[in-house]
Amino acid sequence: MIKPDLKRVILQELKLDDWQMEAETLAAEIPGWDSLSHASIILAVEKAFGVRFSNVEVLKLNNLGDLQRLLDSKLQ
Amino acid sequence: MYFDSLHYIMFVPAVLAAYQLMPSRWRWAVLLSASIAFYAALRMPLLVVAWTLVVLTSYWLGRRISDESNGIRRRTYLWAGVAAQVVILGSIKYLRVILRLIVPRFEIPTAGMDWFSTLGISYYTLQAVSYLADVYLGTAKPERHFGRFALYLGFFPKLLQGPIERAGDLLPQLRSLGSFNYTNVRSGVLLFCWGLFKKVAVANRLAPFVTAVYYDPHGYSGLSLIAATYMYALQILADFSGYTDMALGVARMFNIRLTENFKSPYFATSIADFWRRWHISFSRWILDYIFKPLQIEWRNARKVGVVGALMVTFLFSGLWHDVALTFMAWGLLHGVYLASSVLLKPWREAVYRKIGLANHPGRRAFQGIVTFHLVAFAWIFFRARSIADGWYTATHLFVGAATRISYATSVRGGVMGAILNGGSARDFAMLGAAMAVWFLGSTFRKTVRLQEQPIWFRWSMYYALILALVYLNAYDDVGFVYFQF
Repeated sequence: MIKPDLKRVILQELKLDDWQMEAETLAAEIPGWDSLSHASIILAVEKAFGVRFSNVEVLKLNNLGDLQRLLDSKLQ
Repeated sequence: MYFDSLHYIMFVPAVLAAYQLMPSRWRWAVLLSASIAFYAALRMPLLVVAWTLVVLTSYWLGRRISDESNGIRRRTYLWAGVAAQVVILGSIKYLRVILRLIVPRFEIPTAGMDWFSTLGISYYTLQAVSYLADVYLGTAKPERHFGRFALYLGFFPKLLQGPIERAGDLLPQLRSLGSFNYTNVRSGVLLFCWGLFKKVAVANRLAPFVTAVYYDPHGYSGLSLIAATYMYALQILADFSGYTDMALGVARMFNIRLTENFKSPYFATSIADFWRRWHISFSRWILDYIFKPLQIEWRNARKVGVVGALMVTFLFSGLWHDVALTFMAWGLLHGVYLASSVLLKPWREAVYRKIGLANHPGRRAFQGIVTFHLVAFAWIFFRARSIADGWYTATHLFVGAATRISYATSVRGGVMGAILNGGSARDFAMLGAAMAVWFLGSTFRKTVRLQEQPIWFRWSMYYALILALVYLNAYDDVGFVYFQF
């Protein structure tokens, strides 16, 4: 459910080699993804795909699945 | 009727009895009446008025936000709700200041009531804001049952000092109020007694020593300033976590689970970690409703944006406690700690790797000790009576003798002086005993599951706690540290 290109951007930003990412995966489960790095990851995703999320959209994200869905909706 | 009063200890079983006798669909009414009676019994009439306004505004606006489909109007309702809470909070907190502006030589006949108390208001206004924001974001469904909503905001165990409960955590529990559960009542009573012990035996015994030094730090040597600061760090933890245990314990008797507010905060290995363990319901509030929105708004500024968001968040934290330079200094210090941590992270990792200690087992212990000292240092400003005193204390921790030379101050100047001023050597010994019980008890709670032990063991522990309460308590009428916020 989490597409490889999104996964690659996240891994790159967090300087990880690999990590299991499913739709229900929470940010807290991924090493290095905490409240302090959260915004930079969102920014990295936006820059990589050339999109811009609204603040409210970002605040509503609960897990990776939400992020993937939000990204997909912007790319259509 | 504060938690450590006899009245409260009689009040709770009475409520429990009424609660159990009622059919389950009216239990919310018992708890709500009890909560209103509890608040009214404090004889602080303006607070009851303010609380009622908070309930009415947030109930109504919560429903409006949810029923409205127009995005702009929803946002307007949200901001109106936030503004209402800020105005109510500000009016109560700064009532004296406001009145003096309007009527300069203002004096009010008290008639036995306290018109200027702020007990509880800082907590349920934040909770109301959290409710409105969660409804707006769709994280929580609005509560349409007015009585239940009022109970959500006014539930007496958490009314005066929190925890600040999220709608998603507390409202569902209020919708299914279960009957008398012996296990819950038993563990609730135990938790309450443990919290009471921390407050009346540990915090109350530490207080005089801290007060003696912090009342006039100029008369004390660096060693006394350091000792008093360490003691304050322990006092505030015992006091506030004691209150929290009492709140959670009583709530548990009604089968309600309130949020954990403390998780061994002085074992934190970084300031960020500390804030995940200290006053958790409050730090989660400032994280979700101040830090995150700002951080996301300023994400294009990258690290500068994060630093900015941190400084604003912790400045708010300081000011929420009180609008005073000391609390601002305390808040800003924590903001600087966290900002430095964010900015220095890549270098810190590189340094640890270079000196080969990145995975050393002692690293965590070292980080723990450093973190504790950073926190303790910041507490100086939290406790200081003025910013000048705070600055003096902070800059004279390693300065030996008292500045004024006289027999009186030379006795007062040392740690012995602090002991004699704060109490006798016997008091100090009782404090030591209370601290030992606290340490043993805390370790015990983390390692042993008391409910699973044989009956003789459990009852020995209960008796031990009762004895500790009876013999080591230093009951006073002073109230809790966090009452003032």
